[in-house]
Amino acid sequence: MFFALTSDQQEFGAAVRDYLAQRFDLAAVRTVVENPSDDGNPASLWRAAGEQGWTAVTVDEDHDGLGLGLVEAQVIARALGAGVAPGPWRGTVLAADAIRLAGSDEQKAAWLPKLAAGEAVGAFTTRGSAASGLPVVEYGALADVVVAPAEDGLPGLALVTGATASPVGSYDGTTRLASCSGGTVETLPGTTVELQRLLTDRATVLVAADLVGIAREALTRTVAYDRERTQFGVPVGSFQALKHALADLHVGVTMAEHAALYAAHAVDTGLADAELAVAVAKAKSSDVALQATAAMIQFHGGIGYTWEHEAHFFYKRAKRLAGQYGDVAVSRERIASLTVGA
Amino acid sequence: MDLTFTPAEEEFREELRSWLRAHIPDEWTRPGFWESLEDSESFRLRRDWERDKADAGFAGIQWPVEYGGRGGTPGMKAIYDEETVRARAPRTVNPLGLTFLAPTVMAIGTDAQKKEIIGPLLRNEVVWCQGFSEPGAGSDLAALSTKGVRDGDDFVVNGQKVWTTNAVHGDKIFTLVRTEAGSEKHRGISMLLIDMNQPGVTARPLRQMSGASEFGEVFFDDARVPVTDCLGEIGDGWRTAMLLLSFERGASGISQYTEFRRQYDEIAAVARKLGRADDPVIRDDLARVLTELECLRLHSMHVLTQVEQGRDLGFEASMTKLQWSEAFQDLWEVYDRILGEDATLDALTDGTDLRPLHAQAMWSRSVTIWGGSSQVQRNVTAERVLGLPR
Repeated sequence: MFFALTSDQQEFGAAVRDYLAQRFDLAAVRTVVENPSDDGNPASLWRAAGEQGWTAVTVDEDHDGLGLGLVEAQVIARALGAGVAPGPWRGTVLAADAIRLAGSDEQKAAWLPKLAAGEAVGAFTTRGSAASGLPVVEYGALADVVVAPAEDGLPGLALVTGATASPVGSYDGTTRLASCSGGTVETLPGTTVELQRLLTDRATVLVAADLVGIAREALTRTVAYDRERTQFGVPVGSFQALKHALADLHVGVTMAEHAALYAAHAVDTGLADAELAVAVAKAKSSDVALQATAAMIQFHGGIGYTWEHEAHFFYKRAKRLAGQYGDVAVSRERIASLTVGA
Repeated sequence: MDLTFTPAEEEFREELRSWLRAHIPDEWTRPGFWESLEDSESFRLRRDWERDKADAGFAGIQWPVEYGGRGGTPGMKAIYDEETVRARAPRTVNPLGLTFLAPTVMAIGTDAQKKEIIGPLLRNEVVWCQGFSEPGAGSDLAALSTKGVRDGDDFVVNGQKVWTTNAVHGDKIFTLVRTEAGSEKHRGISMLLIDMNQPGVTARPLRQMSGASEFGEVFFDDARVPVTDCLGEIGDGWRTAMLLLSFERGASGISQYTEFRRQYDEIAAVARKLGRADDPVIRDDLARVLTELECLRLHSMHVLTQVEQGRDLGFEASMTKLQWSEAFQDLWEVYDRILGEDATLDALTDGTDLRPLHAQAMWSRSVTIWGGSSQVQRNVTAERVLGLPR
């Protein structure tokens, strides 16, 4: 029995975290948040993503990738969440996944090496369709290729290039959104209903892992602050009302970490309970990230509600991602349909 | 990532499964069977069954062979925990002896104690109680006041213990006693192994809110215990107790998960029967609980991994307790909501007996208290794991 990250997997995560801590800290994130008209993809960070293999993680070795699994990808996603890092990493990885699993040899050769190296930006969406337009696409304005449903309400995925993108505003300043329409549409010939489900599951796991990273970092920063901040002559962290809330959060975040890790493994290896595992991971990570980021604001007191403080980066990113691919309620309904019956 | 057990461990699972299949009467697995028995009858049946199980080689799974154990792996212990629940095996009559006392004796007992205690414990010839809590010392265990005074080669013990599991069935009790007059807090305490079958020891059952009596009170009135029946050094009982309690840390929660997941399915069936399974609020409630139960299963795999890697979980064990006890309580809260105005009735209109389920619902009120209340576990997590100031 080994339900944990291997030392290699741990090192991969540590490398991403170290890079962000040293080269792209919250001050750098702030620059992205405060300049909403920029493309939201700082060049130095995106270069690092390509050079350090973050974008190559699940691309097969034949196409210059690392050939690793969703477990490794969720390690990176977790680290990026913890750093509230901007950039089109997730969309690029998911677009590459779709092309790797459903693309023609020509499509693979055309796109995978570029996506792996970060030379092309990918995007992935399950909302709207190539035929009728894509209302909200992460980094849609920057994407060289968008993977999206081909037609409304019908199975099938398409590659969209050269689409017209208009910015979509969001109070989560750590990302950029756009609506996309038109462009050149090619089908992904290998698409099946099962594969579409699988890609959505992979997307959901990576979002869950981002949320887990957000939640853990929000909790860690709040604990550190409450150990130092004094009121009534003592650290506020000595008050039991805070202690118990933070202890419960620690348990919750730990459980969400387990859930995201297991879901990644279950989806990657096709375990029988993969569908349940994904729903559990999304329900738990969404729930706990919303709680942890709200607690981050509350347990910093007034400073936590200021623009100057970074609590709102975590809170707003959690708000957006908690709703993606099914919020807590939708994920729970999926769990109920699997375990209670219709 | 490897979520499998070794071939040897899976072989053990098969062996255990077939033994359990052959040795658990169908009647025993009927809901409400154990609740329908007199307490003493239930105890006798379980005690005998457990002795047979030990004779078949399915006790002391991780104990060294030299002590009559199986010398098994942590994985085998996890399999044992899961399979016994899955087979609806009767609950052990000797939980405190098996889980806590035996490994402590193996670690720090004298040769005579090892010989005298471990074998009989394995075969349930001696049922052990744990004498820690007192009326004035619950969460604050170090406030205990039961006294032992030296008289020749004996200690003479006076005082009272409470919430003692199996108090009326116990043969012996490992007891925290203040053996240094005037000592305070955790100093001057010894862990004495007291024979309960003597005139100076009286046990009285306490009736629980569920109606059952699984615990009781133990009174010591000039009870005598030889000084050689001290586990660990005299006056060092606090450290002995901490070592003893540490043997719970490796408990993964897999047996709880297995049991609660089955209860979840039973409760979901009740919801379907009552036409409540399509109520979106009930569905959300159930799914919330299922989420926590699945997290508990994953956590049990995490704990087992840590144990196999030779890491002591230390204070992180508080998390295991919080997760399973709070999830279990939530599950039975949801059950009440499903039944609505009929939540307290003995049976459904179609005759379905609800009393076995009620017994679990009542029991769920206790699990967030015993073994360290949720409030204490949160303090431990906050102070010892997160490093928040006291």
